Amino acid sequence: MKTETVAMILAGGQGSRLGKLTKQIAKPAVPFGGNYRIIDFALSNCANSGINDVGVVTQYQPLILNNHVGNGANWGLNRHDGEATILQPYSSMEGEKFFKGTAHAVFQNIDFIDNKDPEYVVILSGDHIYKMDYQKMLDYHKEQEATLTVGVMPVPWEDASRFGVMNTDKTDRIVEFQEKPENPKSNLASMGIYIFNWSRLKKYLVDSQAKDRQLTDFGHHVIPAYLRNNEAIYAYSFEGYWKDVGTIESLWNANMEFLDPEHELNIRDRKWRVYSNNPNTTPQFLTESANVSNSMITDGCYIAGEIEHSILSHSVKVGKNSYIKNSFIMPNAVIGENVKIEKAIIGEGAHIHDGVEIIGTSDTIEVVGYDEEVGGYSDEK
Amino acid sequence: MRNKVAPILNLVENSDKLKPLTNRRPVAALPFGCRYRLIDFPFSSLTGIEVPSAALFISGSGHSLYDHIRSGSTWGLESRVGGGVFTHSHINLKAELEGTELYTGNYYDDHYHFVSRSNAEYVLLMGSNMLSNVQLDSLMRFHLKKESDVTVVYKKIKRGEVRKDSIHTSLSMSESDSERIVGFNSIADLTDTENALLLNMEIMILDKETFLKLLYKARKQQKDVTVKNLIQFSLDDDKTIFGYEYTGYLKVIEDISSYFQANMDMLNEDNFNALFYRANPVLTKPKNSAPTYYGEQSEINNAQFANDCEVYGKVQNAVIFRKVSIAEGAQVENSIIMQDSCIEEDVYLNHVILDKHVYVKKGARLEGTIENPIVVAKDSIIYAEGDIEKGE
Repeated sequence: MKTETVAMILAGGQGSRLGKLTKQIAKPAVPFGGNYRIIDFALSNCANSGINDVGVVTQYQPLILNNHVGNGANWGLNRHDGEATILQPYSSMEGEKFFKGTAHAVFQNIDFIDNKDPEYVVILSGDHIYKMDYQKMLDYHKEQEATLTVGVMPVPWEDASRFGVMNTDKTDRIVEFQEKPENPKSNLASMGIYIFNWSRLKKYLVDSQAKDRQLTDFGHHVIPAYLRNNEAIYAYSFEGYWKDVGTIESLWNANMEFLDPEHELNIRDRKWRVYSNNPNTTPQFLTESANVSNSMITDGCYIAGEIEHSILSHSVKVGKNSYIKNSFIMPNAVIGENVKIEKAIIGEGAHIHDGVEIIGTSDTIEVVGYDEEVGGYSDEK
Repeated sequence: MRNKVAPILNLVENSDKLKPLTNRRPVAALPFGCRYRLIDFPFSSLTGIEVPSAALFISGSGHSLYDHIRSGSTWGLESRVGGGVFTHSHINLKAELEGTELYTGNYYDDHYHFVSRSNAEYVLLMGSNMLSNVQLDSLMRFHLKKESDVTVVYKKIKRGEVRKDSIHTSLSMSESDSERIVGFNSIADLTDTENALLLNMEIMILDKETFLKLLYKARKQQKDVTVKNLIQFSLDDDKTIFGYEYTGYLKVIEDISSYFQANMDMLNEDNFNALFYRANPVLTKPKNSAPTYYGEQSEINNAQFANDCEVYGKVQNAVIFRKVSIAEGAQVENSIIMQDSCIEEDVYLNHVILDKHVYVKKGARLEGTIENPIVVAKDSIIYAEGDIEKGE
């Protein structure tokens, strides 16, 4: 059977607004919700939508990300008729293939997509938290006989100027696109989810490369070019939880929201599971001195302290008389005794020594980076 | 080390005293420690010597066990360049067929073929009812250093650590060489005055040629291929048998009480660390899961949980498996709650083992004792009035 759809997850972004959390890892590989990395949501959506051919385009600090995705087996994407493939820049006769933008990243991987020879290409971003059935969007794309369908979401009017906004006519056809407009004419924000007819998109990308190499970004270049040529572009409206976790603030917020057992994302729904690369580790051990409330704890944790309204990712250790509140602790962090952490994000493998206090304020979130050590004896003099 | 050892797991193990937990599963498939099954421990030990394949012998269909093992890839037992898990189901051992006509199928041939076709130089025999984490690379080094024909793993234990009528054996050592095994006794035959004993852990390593000779003897005498029988044949043939002392955590899973105790033992940090962190990492079938949520009113004191639980009640000294929900006002103490069980409001459980998928209705109370924990069979429903609708 011919491959109908290939999904391309653009996971090369640095995520510089996440500061030291993305110093060593790409944004899509940043841990989320105790047992996940951000890209798990897009990958699981593909798996649950029946899209089995997925290209994961990586570039910035890809080691952890590549290792996490592997051959896609954890998402059921290692099938005889489909697979997850890591796509990294490489050099060729035409020179190095580093990606200059979202569309350019797809251009550089034309061979990969052509090899699958799909009818449609779904372009996804690897850094959003949401559950979405791409198959429904694809059905809509076919119904409208569109050449491009853009996933959009109604946002509060006051926030609209932070997004790429789509103006539509009565038939939901997109007639204008405004990138972060001062005076938005619509509140339909682009989610960075696109379905293209592959042959058409390929023609645009190849022609542009031959001519002026202008089409490097989907939002800035490709959509405007499609609009100029009067292509059939439709907006597909998504309703549900969707969060861009591109800043420290939004990452922390999204995790705190995730703690709510009634959260819209419904992470325990067996019919639409969010898959991940689950570590093989011991059960959660809550000792006699542990005190845990309104929190999520993951396998491999050892807790001797007090945890309130926080998420502890797998294999985190918390010593006696330590207190953690309103915080997100990433995997393998070691927290000593008599430590106090409030309103903070603690990076993977960080080590917080005895007696340290890490406390955010009403308008800032404290962040400890990947493998960072805080407190303890210093060798330096 | 890779490819040097051909492991044979004899999982035809006595499970009568573990009923109803073993009604539909072999001892090897017994859930343990929130997220494991007993088979994970020998399999994880095997990762330490990088074996590419293993042979299993099991009496039932093995459904629950095979569902857990799948391709064996978790423990490195699957490779496109040779290896894999070789399963042999519906094995009836002579001991279980007394008085009836012996049917062994291809029992001896299966052993022979697995070993003779393997590129391995050594054969390792082990089971699953001796809960432990043995470093097999160290055992192998000991075996080579001693230039022993056969090496058997043992642990010094107190008489009271196993059943009085235990079916297991105690080894006796040579007076001139305390590492040399010269005989064994059934523990049930020991007098009560003997306080300590050297428990035969039923883990044996020997070279391929010696194994094939002993296998031939077993076939000729129509005896089961067990460590106990192979020790006897080795003694008969004057082979040198050395004992390798294991000093890590051990529990012989021989009845409900020892099974219960083994789980409770893990709530002691020394035992927990000894079993999980001092030797091979313990690997189990990977499962997709969400973190466990502990509600506002939850009260936890010395307990272990797997992922995917939702806990709103009070839990003390308990071992809780995946996908268990414990409602507000419920109290669970000194208990083992297996996967998928649901505990409603105001339930009180003390010294109870709930098998998988048990539903405890609002207000129900169950109280066992440490010697006799109450065991509730899989899929049962417990009503507040004390009625139990039995599952299997």
